[in-house]
Amino acid sequence: MNLTIFPLMIAVPLGASPLVYLVGRIGWHRPELNGRSYLVRGLALLAMLLSWIPFVLSWSQFAAQGASLSSTFESIGLQVDGLSLLLAAITLGLGTVVVLFSGPYMAGEVGEEKYYAMLLAMVGLIIGLGCANDLFNFWMWFEAMAVSSYLLVAFYREQPASLEAGIKYLVQSAVGSVFVLLGVALVFGATGTLDMDKIRLATNALTSNHSGLVLAGAFFMIGFGVKVALVPLHTWLPDAHSQAPSGISAMLSGVVIEAGLVAMLRALSTLGVLSVSWGTLLLGFGAVNMLFGNLMALKQVQLKRMLAYSSLSHIGYMLLGLGIALTSGQLAGAQGAAFHLFNHMIMKGLAFLAVGAFMFVLLMKKGIHRPLVVDDLAGAARKYPLAALALSIALLALGGLPPLAGFMSKWQIFVAGFQSGNGWLMGLVVFAALNSVLSLGYYAPIVNMLYRQKISDVVQQGEVIPLAMKIPLMLLTLSIVVIGLWPSLMSWLTEPAGQTILFIFGK
Amino acid sequence: MTAILIGLVIGIPWLGAIILWRTSDEKPRLQHTLAVAFSIAAGFASLALIFFSSAETVIDIRMGAFFGSLTFIPDGLAVSLTAIACVIGSLAVVFSVDYMKGEAQLSRYYTFVLLFIGAMAGLVLSGSLLFMFFFWEITALCSYALISFYNDDPKAVAGGIKALIITQVGGVGLLVGALITYAALGTYQVSALLEKAGTMPANLLALIAFGFLIAAAAKSAQFPFHTWLPDAMEAPTPISALIHAATMVNAGVYLLARFYPAFVQVPGWALSVTIVGLVSALITAFMALTATDLKRALAYSTVSQLGYMVYAIGVGGFFASQFHLLSHAVFKALLFLAAGSVIHATGTRDMRRMGGLGKQMPFVRNVFILGALALAGLPILNGFWSKELILETGLANGPLWAYIGMLLGAGMTAFYTLRMTWLVFFGEAREALRVHDAGSAMKTSLGLLAAGTLTTWLLAGSFSRLFQETLPFHSIHELSTLDLAKEIFSIPATYVALMVVCLGLGVFWMVRKQATEEKETRFDILSRESFGFDWLNRQITSVIFRFASTLQKTQTGKLNWNVVGILSALLMVLIFLLWSA
Repeated sequence: MNLTIFPLMIAVPLGASPLVYLVGRIGWHRPELNGRSYLVRGLALLAMLLSWIPFVLSWSQFAAQGASLSSTFESIGLQVDGLSLLLAAITLGLGTVVVLFSGPYMAGEVGEEKYYAMLLAMVGLIIGLGCANDLFNFWMWFEAMAVSSYLLVAFYREQPASLEAGIKYLVQSAVGSVFVLLGVALVFGATGTLDMDKIRLATNALTSNHSGLVLAGAFFMIGFGVKVALVPLHTWLPDAHSQAPSGISAMLSGVVIEAGLVAMLRALSTLGVLSVSWGTLLLGFGAVNMLFGNLMALKQVQLKRMLAYSSLSHIGYMLLGLGIALTSGQLAGAQGAAFHLFNHMIMKGLAFLAVGAFMFVLLMKKGIHRPLVVDDLAGAARKYPLAALALSIALLALGGLPPLAGFMSKWQIFVAGFQSGNGWLMGLVVFAALNSVLSLGYYAPIVNMLYRQKISDVVQQGEVIPLAMKIPLMLLTLSIVVIGLWPSLMSWLTEPAGQTILFIFGK
Repeated sequence: MTAILIGLVIGIPWLGAIILWRTSDEKPRLQHTLAVAFSIAAGFASLALIFFSSAETVIDIRMGAFFGSLTFIPDGLAVSLTAIACVIGSLAVVFSVDYMKGEAQLSRYYTFVLLFIGAMAGLVLSGSLLFMFFFWEITALCSYALISFYNDDPKAVAGGIKALIITQVGGVGLLVGALITYAALGTYQVSALLEKAGTMPANLLALIAFGFLIAAAAKSAQFPFHTWLPDAMEAPTPISALIHAATMVNAGVYLLARFYPAFVQVPGWALSVTIVGLVSALITAFMALTATDLKRALAYSTVSQLGYMVYAIGVGGFFASQFHLLSHAVFKALLFLAAGSVIHATGTRDMRRMGGLGKQMPFVRNVFILGALALAGLPILNGFWSKELILETGLANGPLWAYIGMLLGAGMTAFYTLRMTWLVFFGEAREALRVHDAGSAMKTSLGLLAAGTLTTWLLAGSFSRLFQETLPFHSIHELSTLDLAKEIFSIPATYVALMVVCLGLGVFWMVRKQATEEKETRFDILSRESFGFDWLNRQITSVIFRFASTLQKTQTGKLNWNVVGILSALLMVLIFLLWSA
């Protein structure tokens, strides 16, 4: 295939990023031009929508070809496989609704144009990260993505809490990045190449256990693990996810930590000979993440922090699926993890956006700067039926109740555990199922609170939710229900992703 | 046609649920009308489905890899339980027209009632374990939402979450069983498990069998999960009648009955089922002896009667258990709804404040007495036949000690039933309560259920024929109603049981002064704490919450410690890698 379209999925949002910024800056000091906000929003949305075209084309090309697509610029190799497409799909999917949602949410904020520029850049960089096939460039994409996300976390630069979150995120991520870079150096030293496929060949050919590569693997796991928020590397996450603007919280929870996970898998796959060790470690971290995330969320009263902790436990489910896939070669595990990754994007994206919508109309519009707590939402359903339904469905889906998406992807992961026939893995599945029950202990009371008869004062005085915020909520809510009733609807995406994971680890 | 009817019994209530969700609470008349229309339509569809029952799979939709097929099998067991769910469901909805008059948020109430009715039908009709679990969880969600319906009341909120968590913990047993079945047989089909159980490795089959027993015990509020049902009585009374007496709590019994032929070969399973049933029946009957809250007393009695059904399955009385399930669904719904009329009229659930209400509410008194006699097991009401059948099977096939225990339970049942009736409707009025008679919608439901209590036992013959024809794995022999009646009246066990029942009634009559007094006895503490199991529940919750509080200290907010976390994780990973290499 001579014509490669897929680099356009990266190029369109990346190229649109400076354009949006420049358009936003032109005449920013002239008050009569304050209509530019609509121009900025419109351009950002257009760029997101345009990016879908190369995505759809490259997916059909990939499906027709049945193998990964590759393209080389100078010496930089890019490659699209099932995993890249999964990452691109979640990034574009959530990115598009977040841009739409942010319209009213960010309107009039200082630096609104920077927000969209960084968001578009982040989208492009994450898609690029998914396509990188050269270990060093891969790290570059990863770092660039991280830089764009630091700026977005610390977006409210006048608020100390937001800056504190940004600094913690920056420092901890930087520690991780250093480890990753060390890992890259060790791999390069041992194999003499940075091309991932060649490294795979070289490490598979090694007969004795190369201690440098083992160390490199540990660096990859911990380095990327900071972004994935493995416990105990997670300490930046509750602050960052709760202090960022809600659209960004959705992106961080629904896409960025998953991008870290995909990056970790790619890096570790170059050392696929040790896949059982990596699988075992992922299972261990998965179990800790599930329990820790749930217990921390259990006593949380700030909604965004609670959702942030719940992300820890959902990462745990994905790790469980991946760990099962790597230790026992079950496709159901890899595919289930990919499915859960996709569903988590929708569910957690929706949860953060719905909470964001409430924050916007209950607090921000009133000029109140404080976190939204559970009690604020008492009786919200009577005034905001749509947003309350959206939040309820998101939470119940996260808790794994049918007929919602989260139930089906968790089920698929559980199937893998039992198909492996390994007693330990079955035990872990039971542990995961009990964790789901535990998580209902904090999701259900919020839903209950939303449908109270007595309305809280905050809700009583709340403003109307704008249409541009309602549309994303409706779209995501609908997807959760439809996928829950028809789980194979997403297998065009999750199956290649699962197969790719098994393939790159040589299973 | 069968496929269409199955679509209708699940689809009509669910469509109704969606429509009611969209109705405005400003228009209660419309909401009542819609709910009644949808539930009655579902009721008729479910009755029609009985005539189309078969052992064949009628709907088969591929759900993609790892999710198997969504199938429905309208066999005798499924269609009879569907009919119970839909018919009693529609009666509960009709009752609600009066009971819920003037309540806020009716759209939420009716949405979940209708969602529940559809899910319950789906649960019993499902031919796939995955979708059985799917509907199982939806019924749990509806139960939660309706227990916590009055969600400004902290007791209702606490009762709801308790029910949700306990049934979900048990549900893990069903999940594990379904997953093992899929891993071993490559399918989720119920018929495959029943057919190939003998060829499965014994340890896996035992895991499935005991997993299902845990799930069943949690759903049917059996020992040691019996603590949630009394607290679920915070729900509006029609919900207690529908979900927590007549339908959802039967799902556990259904599960055991459905898979009995597969699990009976597992060593110790049948005995465990017998013991679970026996212990549940006895301890909750004991708790009902001194209960003062009308609805809680009925809830204890529900657990106790479910214990009878579970016991029946343990001793191999598949037909007896399902027969009692039918009788119990009808008479307990009647008792709950009658109690609902009383509560609606008096505004209290405390039996100590009632008394002498029979004069003001003669219709309710009469139907309540009818239900109470059926519960106590007196001829010729439906509860008598099914309970006698259970005891007879227990004596013939089960251990003698268990039979004696169940006999004792029958005596206690008679005692507390009479006590309940006496406290509410007879004697002197203890307080001057302002009472109004039941409304016409209430009376319609009560009247129909009372008629059912008098007559459903006549269906025993057709019931057994239905089972024989459509349940290939359960060896059921057709037994006409007349033969059943002859059999029951010809064996001495029946007279023994009747004597024990009369003894229970007689003992109450002698001690009625003490038994209706307000002062607390030392047994009350045992009852209030559910024999220590409520204490256990609280301990587990508090340990989890204490642990969570301790963990919160790990979020120091200090960057240095955060980096220490990263470094120590690196160290742990390295140690693991060295150790595994």
